[in-house]
Amino acid sequence: MPGIHLRRRSVCRAVGLALAAVTGLAQPARAAPETFNTALPVPKGEFIFREQFLYKSATDDPSPADREVRVLGGISVLGYGVTGDFAVFGVLPYLDKSLDVTTPGGQRVTRDTSGIGDARLFARYTVFHDDAPGRTFRIAPFAGIELPTGDDDDNDGLGTLPATLQLGSGSWDPFAGVVATYQSLDYEIDVAASYKVNTEANDFEFGDEARFDASLQYRLWPRDLSSGVPGFLYGVLESNLIYQGKNEIGGANDPNSGGTTLFIAPGFQYVTKRWVLEAIVQFPALQDLNGSALEDDLTVRAGFRFNF
Amino acid sequence: MTRIIRTAVFALSLLLPVTAFAAQARYQLQVDGLACPFCAYGIEKQLTRTDGVKNIEIDINAGTVTVTMAEGAAMTQAQADRIVKDAGFTLRGFSEVPTQD
Repeated sequence: MPGIHLRRRSVCRAVGLALAAVTGLAQPARAAPETFNTALPVPKGEFIFREQFLYKSATDDPSPADREVRVLGGISVLGYGVTGDFAVFGVLPYLDKSLDVTTPGGQRVTRDTSGIGDARLFARYTVFHDDAPGRTFRIAPFAGIELPTGDDDDNDGLGTLPATLQLGSGSWDPFAGVVATYQSLDYEIDVAASYKVNTEANDFEFGDEARFDASLQYRLWPRDLSSGVPGFLYGVLESNLIYQGKNEIGGANDPNSGGTTLFIAPGFQYVTKRWVLEAIVQFPALQDLNGSALEDDLTVRAGFRFNF
Repeated sequence: MTRIIRTAVFALSLLLPVTAFAAQARYQLQVDGLACPFCAYGIEKQLTRTDGVKNIEIDINAGTVTVTMAEGAAMTQAQADRIVKDAGFTLRGFSEVPTQD
């Protein structure tokens, strides 16, 4: 199916940007943002677990190929507090990815795969915190690596799947960033900046990724705090500015890859002492992609966190 | 009448040592940085692991954690400071409060 292979670059770009937004750089299991990191602490010797289910689609393809990309998945995160300031995290995604495309011969085909994706390990250290009654401000750099745990040579009856439709990249990709959090009893603000260096594997290299994220959580209920520890219902508004460089295939830049996307995401979060329920929808507010683009529709995330 | 009073005083004097022995130390920890329910559990968990801690009451609005110890057990300020720090927060104040027994 030569048509399929010729279309590989644009497919890679579409799915690549989609997955960058889907997995994020670091989504530790903690109260606070739903699409990125926080600087809030994980207590010493404690585990926190987070599970986030997601659905993402990109279907608005103006080209005759009429590409449609869908990603279903679950992202599991386990955090552990080594000290009150130092925590380590492991992230393991399970993904079901599919691509529907019309071949030059007019045949509609579906290519899909599912399984464990690339795991991430990272550590976060709080370098500054200023605590006062009912509020805290923290700054915490983090760094880690994405491991090639996902299958990167899956194939179907049409041949080897495009690199970005694979569950894994096959490469070891380091990333680092910094997150700052201001939390009071009434609201919380988180901002983060991060960068991921994607390395080459299988003669393919994803473009590097830069992210700038922001989140506001405002306590909607209870309006007045009583004694004890009541559950908090937060209204959430987040934004994710994601830049991805051009991919390289055989050492050459793919002009139809990479670009910038800004997501705006409203959601909610219900927080108790032991667990958190949350859901958020990411809408693409701006998409400036290179070459012919398959733009994102939306991403839905919903899940829970649990304090052991 | 005098005899009745003497008897009552004697009976009460017998009870006093028992009451004193049964008293459980209570402490109030003023914790800075505590601003959400999920964070409160972190401190509760650290305290639960501490020997002698019998009961924990957290008031997130006041930023206080009241700890009741088992009979004969006590907590020092240094111990409380370590517990709060391990949970990722800051101990502002530590005081012993009157018992409820």
